[in-house]
Amino acid sequence: MDSLSGRHLLVTGVTGFLGKVWLAMVLDKLPGIARISVIVRPRNRRDSALERFEKIIDTSPVFRPLREKHGAGLANYLGQRLEVLSGDVEKRWCGLDTETVERLTRSVDVMIHCAGITDFQPDPIRALGVNVIGGNHAADIAVRCQAKLVHISTCFVAGNVSGEVAETVTPGVAPNGRRFSVSAEIRALQMACRSGEAAKKVKTRVEIGKQRALDLGFPNIYTYTKGLAEHALAARQDLDLVIVRPSIVECARNYPMPGWNEGANTAGPLAWLITSSFRRLPTNGHHAFDIIPVDDVARGMTLVVAAALDDRAEPIYQLASSSCNPLPLGRTVELTGLAMRRWTRKGGGDTWQKMVLKQLDPVPVAQDDQGFFAAPKMGGWMGTLRRKLTDFDRAEHLPPAVDELIGDAVERAVTDLKEKVTHQHHQFRRIEHMLELYRPFIHDNDYRFRTDNIGALAIGVRGDWAYEVSGIDWRHYWVDIEYPGLRKWCMPLLEGEKIEMDPPSSPPFRLHSDFVERAASK
Amino acid sequence: MDSNTAAFFRVEGTLTSRSTVMAAGWLAANSQELTHRFTRLGAVALSAPFAFAGDPTLATRMAWLGLRGMSEDRLIVLGEEYWATYLKDALLPVGLDLLQRAKRDGRRIVLISDNLHEVVAPLAEQVNADHVFCNRMELRNNVATGRLREPVISRIGGSRLRDFADERGLDLHASCGYGASSSDSMMLSAVGMPCAVHPDRGLRRIARDLDWPVVEA
Repeated sequence: MDSLSGRHLLVTGVTGFLGKVWLAMVLDKLPGIARISVIVRPRNRRDSALERFEKIIDTSPVFRPLREKHGAGLANYLGQRLEVLSGDVEKRWCGLDTETVERLTRSVDVMIHCAGITDFQPDPIRALGVNVIGGNHAADIAVRCQAKLVHISTCFVAGNVSGEVAETVTPGVAPNGRRFSVSAEIRALQMACRSGEAAKKVKTRVEIGKQRALDLGFPNIYTYTKGLAEHALAARQDLDLVIVRPSIVECARNYPMPGWNEGANTAGPLAWLITSSFRRLPTNGHHAFDIIPVDDVARGMTLVVAAALDDRAEPIYQLASSSCNPLPLGRTVELTGLAMRRWTRKGGGDTWQKMVLKQLDPVPVAQDDQGFFAAPKMGGWMGTLRRKLTDFDRAEHLPPAVDELIGDAVERAVTDLKEKVTHQHHQFRRIEHMLELYRPFIHDNDYRFRTDNIGALAIGVRGDWAYEVSGIDWRHYWVDIEYPGLRKWCMPLLEGEKIEMDPPSSPPFRLHSDFVERAASK
Repeated sequence: MDSNTAAFFRVEGTLTSRSTVMAAGWLAANSQELTHRFTRLGAVALSAPFAFAGDPTLATRMAWLGLRGMSEDRLIVLGEEYWATYLKDALLPVGLDLLQRAKRDGRRIVLISDNLHEVVAPLAEQVNADHVFCNRMELRNNVATGRLREPVISRIGGSRLRDFADERGLDLHASCGYGASSSDSMMLSAVGMPCAVHPDRGLRRIARDLDWPVVEA
């Protein structure tokens, strides 16, 4: 990792799941880096970019190892290395003023663009702004600085395909083989989303975005906009580009701690789903579920950045497990059930989970063989039952004598039941929606992402930066790390609860930095 | 450990009160799919007549045959759960005392069990055993075939124990053995210092005839 010593890195997206872990690891393990300038979007009028970032350093568990290592000296340690720049990738020059851009051009060695919207079906206008146009803005800065751009994308820009996915991109050719122009696609999507009903309703815009994605062979708006970004950047002749494509980024194996996760990512909702009362997951058990722990992605990214600085990087690196250490979906489903058993044995869960759900293992079923417990069917029945309960009229349905005797009690019971049925009805609709969202990744497509480039780069690398995805023991990872991690950091969000952050320090943490420009960050 | 003397412990009856068929039944009852639970439990139940008919090897094979189709993941995770939930609480203090004494005497600890390795492994780790002589399921693509890998452990004969000892450089005449059932008598006959631990009627009679010490629970 000597290549990174004394270098100046410019980074976007450090407030995201992956960006934070990468930044914390680099700050922790590579103290020789000269400077890391991070572009952070102010959250709102009250919280400037700097204040937002300081709050993250102070309370996010990702920075716990750094806080523990440096104690009161952390502010000085970070201050000597970190520069927080207020910006927004959706704006030209990522929202940086010309003076700042000019200053950066004199020293930045590499730009790492992590920022992105990772929701599967976001508002396409916003996804375009951040994922596609934001990528171009980052590229403009990299070109201006004559620095390389390491662009973080996703393996799933491969679209709706099955089989081996090579580490290549052919600008202007969609996953389904259709030729397209990125600028024309952006214009067409923007026009469609800004006219008629779509201009007012996000739902309509999402439908438009989904359709355009499917027309080019992308499974959703996320992969579509990430794909457009790759095509746009790869077509630029003025740009020195390296693309990093992680697959599904999941709980950390080691750093900052085993099980660390943030937000509701892909495996979280699925694990929540199949350890809820819904136990039959429509999936193809033989297909690979391509996941990779977040700290392994951070290690891979760092190796790529070092290679880019040494002018020995390949154009694209896929960070994935399906070709080197495949985890079949059927095994994932079984391991989730086993992990739940262990979790309840160690004290987790309520009585229903401990006594009943623990005993009923989730099973993978074919899409067309979901039987009695199919989510749409159950949802439909719940809907019918809810209507019947809503239509209940004691005067009409109860004989006068019974009404007089127990009418009040019956009405209360019906009201209670209606509430429960309504809740279940919503749950099944939610499950149906989730299954639809995940269907390309858990049922339709069997991806095998080639990872030859990172494999070659990782040869001989030992210690903190060893990239060893092929050696992951999936049973241990899933049962002892992933599932407990999801339970702690992800599932509460799905159940409408808050994740507990670390308590803020007193007095509040402030970066002591030569680089910090508090006034400018406002 | 350099010692060439060992203490052979038959797990069932000496270290724990739970029998092997209970483990097989519990694993079968915790199959992934409900229908498999019934069929596998049925297969385990079928092993009982063979045990009563005096063919413990066939009974052991039959009991574990029920787990055919179970994944290695399930065997390992459930094996740990079985240990933590049932075996740990069923450990016999008398057996543990004898084991600690053997360790203090510098003997290598050998656990002998007709249970599956996945079930015995956590116990071996807990008592820090040097060797485990138990049954191993044959796996194909990480799925149990239902067949046990050779040698199948049920009633341990003297020749098998001698082979085991020769491979590991153990002196059987200077070693001790602990068993609880009449089916352990051949194993006990092969060691220099046999001992019956809270024995069943058959082993008690043999111990009396051969003047072996008997330790009561």
